[in-house]
Amino acid sequence: MSETSDTTIPVTVLTGYLGAGKTTLLNRILSENHGKKFAVVINEFGELGVDNDLVIDADEEVFEMNNGCICCTVRGDLVRILGGLMKRRGRFDGIIVETTGLANPAPVAQTFFMDEDVKRATRLDAIVTVVDAKNLLARLEDSKEAEEQIAFADVIVLNKMDLVTEDEAAEVERRIKAINPYAEIRRATKSDVPVDAVIGRDAFKLERILEREPDFLESDEHEHNDDVLSMSFEVERPIDPELFNAWIGGLLQSKGQDLLRTKGILHYQGEDRRFAFQAVHMIADGDFIGPWKEGDPRKSKIVFIGRNLNRPQLRRGFEGCVAG
Amino acid sequence: MSETANDADFLLSSRGRSEELGAWVMAVAFGRDGHGCAFSLGDGTLRLASTEDEWRRVEAHDGAALSLVPDAENGFLSGGDDGRFLRVTAAGEISELADFGTMKWVEHLASHPSGLRAASVGKVVHLFGRDGAKLKALVHPSTVGGVAFDAKGKRVAAGHYNGASVWFVNSKEDKPRVLPWKGSHQQVLFSPDGTHVVTTMQENALHGWRLTDQQDMRMSGYPAKVKSFSFTAKGRWLATAGADCVVLWPFFAGGPMGKPPVELAGGDSIVCTQVACHPQHEVVAAGFQDGLVLMAEIGSGKIVPVAAPGRGAVSALAWNPSGTRLAFGTETGFAGVVDLSKR
Repeated sequence: MSETSDTTIPVTVLTGYLGAGKTTLLNRILSENHGKKFAVVINEFGELGVDNDLVIDADEEVFEMNNGCICCTVRGDLVRILGGLMKRRGRFDGIIVETTGLANPAPVAQTFFMDEDVKRATRLDAIVTVVDAKNLLARLEDSKEAEEQIAFADVIVLNKMDLVTEDEAAEVERRIKAINPYAEIRRATKSDVPVDAVIGRDAFKLERILEREPDFLESDEHEHNDDVLSMSFEVERPIDPELFNAWIGGLLQSKGQDLLRTKGILHYQGEDRRFAFQAVHMIADGDFIGPWKEGDPRKSKIVFIGRNLNRPQLRRGFEGCVAG
Repeated sequence: MSETANDADFLLSSRGRSEELGAWVMAVAFGRDGHGCAFSLGDGTLRLASTEDEWRRVEAHDGAALSLVPDAENGFLSGGDDGRFLRVTAAGEISELADFGTMKWVEHLASHPSGLRAASVGKVVHLFGRDGAKLKALVHPSTVGGVAFDAKGKRVAAGHYNGASVWFVNSKEDKPRVLPWKGSHQQVLFSPDGTHVVTTMQENALHGWRLTDQQDMRMSGYPAKVKSFSFTAKGRWLATAGADCVVLWPFFAGGPMGKPPVELAGGDSIVCTQVACHPQHEVVAAGFQDGLVLMAEIGSGKIVPVAAPGRGAVSALAWNPSGTRLAFGTETGFAGVVDLSKR
């Protein structure tokens, strides 16, 4: 399933706080002469008009899956709309979903894990978060959603660069990287990023995410406990799949609400292919992807982005999965 | 093609007519008066089909045709993602019953022989009368996933988040009876005797309510989403898709509570995608993920193939009112009509 067939239609999710420049970016993507046609799913209460042939009104309808898991929320409107769009096929090359400023991105991402029709017909290309360089730090102080939008991002457009000094920009980038070191940051003014920086990224694909070696910030400075942070762990020796499943299953069950995203590339004992694992809150998915590259060290790596992460406990847990 | 495939196509090739339509077949319907058969497609067109004549293309919607049902007396109702709610005669003449505007998808339709018509757009079920006049707009807490009238046309039900709502069509005060159950409910059906309401869910399950005592019925364990369900004519069985066989829940002798369902036409681990019960007999037609279409007699379990696999997942299936014709269509645009009348 990670070897996505080309018949699936890529979906780009645009998130960002109110006034950050989401709709400006959307209109820029749509107006640029790239010869591509997009279907656009917007919220009824959008700030600006959107100029496109195929615009669908969405009512961000989130519901809990009936499986006893409280963070297992899905965007029912997307299931419906993507399902409908698939049946008209051939009239567009991609789908762009714009979320409201206050939206938590988890239900959107989970929709791509949970619904079999959505999974069959589309693939999540990237979650693109537009942030306002001038106001981001203040937003992070007062809004859980702003933090989550960064935690979920594959690409972050750091917008309104004309309003900040280089020092301020560097500080904002440092904050972003502390939350999510794996997102690619693109500086912009008036959302002026090249379209190919945000569309056709295949960024949600694990291979891509983990190939990027982030300049990881092992920040020892004081952070509030409920701040979103990321932690990554590596082991050299092969992993026992059963031990790993038992550990990660239990961890996601008990800490799933705090774990926004979990991603891993694993070297299973006796297996020549890499195992890719990812989860959004408690919902996990995993599959074998291509073989290890010749000469590359076979090591397993796992990344957590979330709140209240306990570094020693996570490290011990992961190291406990090594095959005996 | 192998010999078995040719055998499976015997009815279609000897007593039917088929065409490649080039777009996703969204739905198929026969006129209630016995005249006309229409397919609606993902490219916004309809095809008026028969077993004898050339099929006719009708331009209906700018976008996709999302829903198609028989109209109250004759002809068809069609809804599109262009916001248009249309009446189409068996001869292909179109008249617009309502235009809800661009971006407003007319997703679910229902009609009743008394002249009632229902169209759902977002959270609202719009009711129209025999003359096309708008009667009322019934608002739900979230987007409507399906709409249905009961057999008498007295009540209309809609599936939505966390349950279904049942409204009395003629009540002065529009207040629904809400049937609660957590989760996203989509298509909805009344049992023919009006005592039960059943919905399909986002999960691989159905949910039902016995209206007399509001007892819940959970019908789960399906390997795939249940996208199609149908009561047999007298309401003894509820046939459902979503498994690698046709699953039939008994609605008699105290069932379906505590009764296991009957499974028909299984064994090759291909998921059933569409079911349609015969309008008189206890026979169910079923379409599968691989394109196979068959008929199964519920009592004996006897299977008769109608169309061979290999032409895309079956996405639409319907009988004509007298049960002499069966029509089906697939996701890849193959469609067929078979004449099963005695010769």
